[in-house]
Amino acid sequence: MDLLRSLARHRALLWDFVIRDLKARYVGSAMGFFWSLVMPIVNLLVYMVVFQFFLRSRWGDPTSRAETIAEYGDDAIIRFIPRGSGGTEETALIMLAGILVWAAFAETLSRATNSLVENANLIQKVVFPSQILVPYLTLSSMFNMLIGLPIVLIGVIYIDVFGVGWPLVVAPALLVLQCLFTIGVGWLLSVANLYFRDIYHLIGVGLTVWMFSTPIFYPAFLVASSKFYLDDTPDGNGPYIPFTWVLDLNPMYWLIHSWRSILVFNEWPDWRLFARLAVVAIALFLFGAWAFERKRTRIPDLL
Amino acid sequence: MYEEQTKATDRVGRGRAIVCEGVSKCYRLYDKPLHRLLDGLKLGGPRYKEFWALRSAYLEIQSGQTVGIIGQNGAGKSTLLKLLAGITLPETGKLEVSGRVTSLIELGAGFHPEFSGRENIGLSCSILGLDAEEIERVTPEIIAFSELGDFIDRPVKTYSSGMYVRLGFAVATSVDPDILLIDEALSVGDEHFRGKCMRRLNEFAEAGGTTVFVSHDLGAVRQMCQHVVLLHQGEIVSQGPADQVADAYLKRVKTIGDERLSFSSRMGGEYPRWGSGEIEVVSVDLLGGEGLPTRVVTPGESVTIRLGYQVREAVQKPVFGIGLYRSDGTYLNGCNHDWRDHPIHLTATEPGESGEVDLALPALPMHQGEYYLTTFLYDHSKPSPVAIDHREHVLAFQVVDPDPRQHGLIRLASAWAVRRTFPDGKTKNLESGS
Repeated sequence: MDLLRSLARHRALLWDFVIRDLKARYVGSAMGFFWSLVMPIVNLLVYMVVFQFFLRSRWGDPTSRAETIAEYGDDAIIRFIPRGSGGTEETALIMLAGILVWAAFAETLSRATNSLVENANLIQKVVFPSQILVPYLTLSSMFNMLIGLPIVLIGVIYIDVFGVGWPLVVAPALLVLQCLFTIGVGWLLSVANLYFRDIYHLIGVGLTVWMFSTPIFYPAFLVASSKFYLDDTPDGNGPYIPFTWVLDLNPMYWLIHSWRSILVFNEWPDWRLFARLAVVAIALFLFGAWAFERKRTRIPDLL
Repeated sequence: MYEEQTKATDRVGRGRAIVCEGVSKCYRLYDKPLHRLLDGLKLGGPRYKEFWALRSAYLEIQSGQTVGIIGQNGAGKSTLLKLLAGITLPETGKLEVSGRVTSLIELGAGFHPEFSGRENIGLSCSILGLDAEEIERVTPEIIAFSELGDFIDRPVKTYSSGMYVRLGFAVATSVDPDILLIDEALSVGDEHFRGKCMRRLNEFAEAGGTTVFVSHDLGAVRQMCQHVVLLHQGEIVSQGPADQVADAYLKRVKTIGDERLSFSSRMGGEYPRWGSGEIEVVSVDLLGGEGLPTRVVTPGESVTIRLGYQVREAVQKPVFGIGLYRSDGTYLNGCNHDWRDHPIHLTATEPGESGEVDLALPALPMHQGEYYLTTFLYDHSKPSPVAIDHREHVLAFQVVDPDPRQHGLIRLASAWAVRRTFPDGKTKNLESGS
């Protein structure tokens, strides 16, 4: 595919953009690079306080766990239920892992959507390979995420419940899949935004909805054990719609679930979820590349 | 459609650098963004209006030539330049550009304000296609040429616009192109640096480089280019030796100015106007040397500015005045018929009265450029004059100089004299009266 080949040809430029973006995050700030570490640490502490004292998190909620297992059998244990006791430190680490992955994705998408418009100056005034914009934004956010993830690992070692081990070798594969998925969606949105500028505003709302429908701040088994009853007086026996489809359709859940498995629980990811993620990520990447390539020559005229 | 060979081999005698065969560019204009979306989704339509920025252009530029493209605003000059640069692709036709192209369409495009000049050099060169080794090689040259001194390590946001342009120019010309595209970017910067830029462009031309220079400044084009292309409303209407095309351009500018006349003398209200309104300035005309309304005049021409007025209510002491501005807002001159040795007093104006006021300027002292007029009508019976009808920017006109011989803001009547004394004591006086 032409687009992928041109991406390879411009890899030096892509790299320069990534470096510049990473530097730009901290240029002019006194603590510079250190801020990338401060954010996750502060997040971690805040979650510990909020979820231990205020919300008394239900990550370890035994009833819901039991219900989920009753409904989905052994499958549930792999698909929805985190191991461990659901204690405060564990919960905070699980959340932090989720939020770091989500933040990298969401940040990239909201920037990628407007990336062509923001760089109109370059695209319209010099011969510029506009296809590198979304990949550079993605890589930059991924680097930022990679600074935060070791904090999760340090926390896991510190609480000494799960330990750290071999499943971490899957991390590079997850990184690649996350990149492909993000770039694919980013390309689609950036081109769509040229035709319909409102997408830039829609994406802010959309990302919020998407975030709360992804089990980041709550455990997945709460979704699995919840039902939307269709009759007026639910007695538990009427017809209902389960919520599990939200998880079954959400690649970000598959991604975050896999990250948590290898980072926090020290276990291999659910290979079925992993395979699904791989197929969707690669397909979206190729589709995004195809769509972008089709419109690429028209981009300067659409701005 | 667009072919580019990235590596420059020997430049001399390579033949044609640019060939356009029937190149057209069409932009789609949508009334509403929603229409673009619906068309994009192929739901009904098409809903756009076509705007042909360039229509079937045939153009052949030999390598080593310096070619000028002139035309009015909106004639398609920038579109042609963007096509040549490969920024946009033509709708139809064939475009061949052989060699590495650098455009000075916008200097410093892509500079990041927070980064230092040095860091921006790196990224800009990378965008222009240099690899790390080449960047390292050219960076000292760029820094030396831009004359930024210590500023090179400060953030670009602290630069003056002149410094910004200097760095942009130094970067753009550092990549050793075969073809250089210039879009009037050089009009910025101080005289010293402009001279330096010109020297670099001359060196480039002498070394066999091809330059395409876009401008509506006839003088500059004439100075630099042997071959000139005249664009009008997206079409190439004339091309050939500079002098020949320049004449065609002048004639065209005159006619266009006159065409626009009938429209603009109807006085649209896009610029501010204020006053109490007892008397109204209803028309403003610029009369050229032949006494006919025009919008294009030449330096030294004798012109008359004619205001038509209509009285609605009596005013004690109305005074008409006219302000002359250059298009950038520089106030050149303001005068009225009261502050004179022999003032004109308009007494006893009555409702229903109308008339004309003439300001005659025997020899227009301005150089080539765009100018506009503001009319003042004030009641001078009070200690500080009160506006009756003040109209900003009522009339824009152009001064076109087919043969510019002086520089700067105004044309001065001048005489030169040289007195030579030779070693043998003989003297010789030389004089040039005009």
